[in-house]
Amino acid sequence: MSLEELAFLLLAAVAIGTAVAALLVRELVHTILWVSVFFVDLSAVYFLLNAPFLGVLQLGVYAGAVTVLLLFGIMVTRKRIFSKEAATGIGPVPLALAVVTFIFLVLALGQLPQGPTSVQSYDPAALSGALFGAYGPWLLLLGLIMLGGVSGAIYLVREGRE
Amino acid sequence: MTALPIAGFLALSGGLLGIGVFGLLTRRNFILILIAVEVAMNATILNFVYFAAFAPSGGAGLSGQAIAVVLIGFAATEVAVGLAIVLALNRLKGTINVGQATELKE
Repeated sequence: MSLEELAFLLLAAVAIGTAVAALLVRELVHTILWVSVFFVDLSAVYFLLNAPFLGVLQLGVYAGAVTVLLLFGIMVTRKRIFSKEAATGIGPVPLALAVVTFIFLVLALGQLPQGPTSVQSYDPAALSGALFGAYGPWLLLLGLIMLGGVSGAIYLVREGRE
Repeated sequence: MTALPIAGFLALSGGLLGIGVFGLLTRRNFILILIAVEVAMNATILNFVYFAAFAPSGGAGLSGQAIAVVLIGFAATEVAVGLAIVLALNRLKGTINVGQATELKE
């Protein structure tokens, strides 16, 4: 087993573990801590896959902005920050649905090559060329959707709306 | 040139999608539901990055990474709108439990 495969196994274990912990712990602030570890771990996976630009974007947008935004959401909606959630039991139906989804996805893996495949690496300059060249309309669409989303968010939370 | 198992990566994102679906169906707190959606969304973004990395030639791989960049932006917008809904719901109801947001049912 090569060093990269070992690193991948470690990162995958941390990703699964932190995602489960984030959704099962009782205190919302601990959830945010676990989920921020999850985001940093995923950015390490991107670096492992030779996608440094996406790794930095994941760190900046997810581990930075989204985490702080979620913390802010908790801060303004609770009287006490460290208060526990009401116990919500793990229903058998959602667990079964999630397990069935996972099993279907794993069964679909049989078609793929099982051994190690070589990883391509890309120059970030080539990626930016693609982003502002062939994928320019997508970037424009992203900007428009962000504008619409932020306008909608301001409309939702503005004062004096009845 | 590094070499990695593609099936292992897909199993990872399958597992993350399963965890996200599970959290989406069981949690009652709006912020936890948002986090579950983020976990599921990250699983899909990871898929684009794998297939970019494992693509045979240059052009197809670059499109995978470009789509991943756009998807990260979409996910961030979704969190912003979701938190606006959380704040509006908290102002209206005094709670962010989705079980009590039943206006649209009536």
